[in-house]
Amino acid sequence: MGMLHAGIVNSLSGIQVKAICETNALLAKFAKELLPKPIAYYHDYLKMIEDEELDAVFIATPIEAHVPIVIDIARTRKNLSLFVEKPLAATHDEAQAACKAVTGLNGVHMVGYQKRFSPIFQRAKELLLDERIGDLMFFRAQAFSSDVLRQGKSWRFTKGTGGVLLDLASHVLDLVMWFFGEPESVLATRRRIYSREVDDYVHATMSFSSGVQGYVDACWSMRDFRLPDTLIEVQGTKGSITVTDDYVKLEISGENPFETSVEVEHRQSFNTSVPFLLADPEYTKEDEAFFSAIDSKRMPELSFVEASKVNALIDRIMKFSEGNRST
Amino acid sequence: MKTFLIGDNAFIGVSHLSHDHARQRLKELRLEAISRVFETAFSCGATGSSFTVHPTNLLILDALENAGTIGNFELYPILPYAAGYVRAVNEKGVSGLISDLISRYSFSDKAKLSLRAGLSTLALDPTGMMRTYIDAELLPIFRRKMKLGSVLLHEVVTDLAVSFQSRNLIDSYMQHIRDKYSVKPGFVTRNLVRFVKFFRDVNLQVEDIVIMTPVNKIGFQMTPSREACEGCLSELHGANVIAMSILAGGYLNLDDAVEYVRHLNLEGAVVGVSSEEHAKRVFTKLREIAMPPETMA
Repeated sequence: MGMLHAGIVNSLSGIQVKAICETNALLAKFAKELLPKPIAYYHDYLKMIEDEELDAVFIATPIEAHVPIVIDIARTRKNLSLFVEKPLAATHDEAQAACKAVTGLNGVHMVGYQKRFSPIFQRAKELLLDERIGDLMFFRAQAFSSDVLRQGKSWRFTKGTGGVLLDLASHVLDLVMWFFGEPESVLATRRRIYSREVDDYVHATMSFSSGVQGYVDACWSMRDFRLPDTLIEVQGTKGSITVTDDYVKLEISGENPFETSVEVEHRQSFNTSVPFLLADPEYTKEDEAFFSAIDSKRMPELSFVEASKVNALIDRIMKFSEGNRST
Repeated sequence: MKTFLIGDNAFIGVSHLSHDHARQRLKELRLEAISRVFETAFSCGATGSSFTVHPTNLLILDALENAGTIGNFELYPILPYAAGYVRAVNEKGVSGLISDLISRYSFSDKAKLSLRAGLSTLALDPTGMMRTYIDAELLPIFRRKMKLGSVLLHEVVTDLAVSFQSRNLIDSYMQHIRDKYSVKPGFVTRNLVRFVKFFRDVNLQVEDIVIMTPVNKIGFQMTPSREACEGCLSELHGANVIAMSILAGGYLNLDDAVEYVRHLNLEGAVVGVSSEEHAKRVFTKLREIAMPPETMA
């Protein structure tokens, strides 16, 4: 993710990547040889922020390193803006420590839940707010990928990184809370399929003060998912809204089956133009939002405090399912 | 336009309209059916195929070879298969991925790739490693003695190189493809205007390469805008631009899509097809660009 953001940011008008901190010697060597010389390389991020004149730092390390780096940087350079790749932290306690560390500082502090910058998910939220499907009854949400189809050795599988919940499900949990708010109650189960230290599947049911209820299924051990896939289907008293990474579908029931209306808006029907396109346009849009917040000195919607809500929910799911986990 | 390529999206579960439908359709596809799709496409004017070096695509090449479908048509492989490598790095880490890639090849292949020196020597030379990687990925095609139209660098790598103005990476890549495979090096980009500007800024010739980039009536994935890309295309005299996403991922109807691209300065187009009927419609229509109906006997 670091490379992706670096590529986008370096192409935005008036912004330049000045330095990269990489502890993997092989990757650092590749980058040094293949990227142009004006970029400086460091093994130590504190030395990097001390030696370079920087306005912002992107933290795209393994999850458990996010907060220690935030705290170190906040203590050393009080005016730096920080962008942390999602999720903010491995636990809610850590997320709160990150929020506390940047309280009162001058910079902007944002977390990269880029799906909020997708015009498709934005349209779904608009439709929900417009009450087009009447009173909301319940939802089902899923986050599936084929990331883990056998036992692995990388950092993703180590204890403390939270497995499928932190890595994959954090996106859909953020969207669910963006749509419905913070849940009042949570029930959950989880299981390990291939991983020894973390969970590969999670099922969480939640209810909200508005009366809405629903569940999230997250599994990173599904076959045939070339890319991670998100789906949220919301049922209301007058119809339903289904949203995926590709489209949003609005179904409104009529007096009889012949009067039911179905409107589907695909990604292509939205304006997704960006100045530079690397992977999906929402990555460029989120990076633009970060720099626009720095320019206007206003905290972005996806602040550390907002993003820490996802960590709070993940902790609740973990805690509830502690006794309900099969290995 | 004279280059009409079959794209691979339908065969690896990609749809820009709906990935859940693409996955479902993929489960129903069989290799024999894909062979027939290729046969139909070629009989209707397709001149080759462009595909990522995805394991499924290698199975398809086997099936085509067994069915005797591979004749004179040209292959335009795209590498690396980015999504696959992200997954492999998740499982094994970067060093694990490289060791694994190398271990997949037989002793004689390793000899061909000069890999006997081992991983540690390779790691000292990133551009050497890139060349080794390219050769390793192209071995399955080389083994089959198939005709190459070009070898294309995946858009993520191309566009990263453009963002960082990495002439070193582009030079090493182009030189290797020219020297070893004797074809024009190719680049997939979703940032055509930036790509061309970068090549010109560093005095590289866009006429000597193949560029594959989204071109469609609604400007889908055309960065920064359709108009800017149209302007860029009109100035690219002698460049080999192959349009991709001409149907905007299945969003446009074929007649409108083809009517738009036929007036642009393009070398060819690549279109993903999923059935014989679809292949027939698409490539018959595209062939009209090369040979308008009034000129056909």
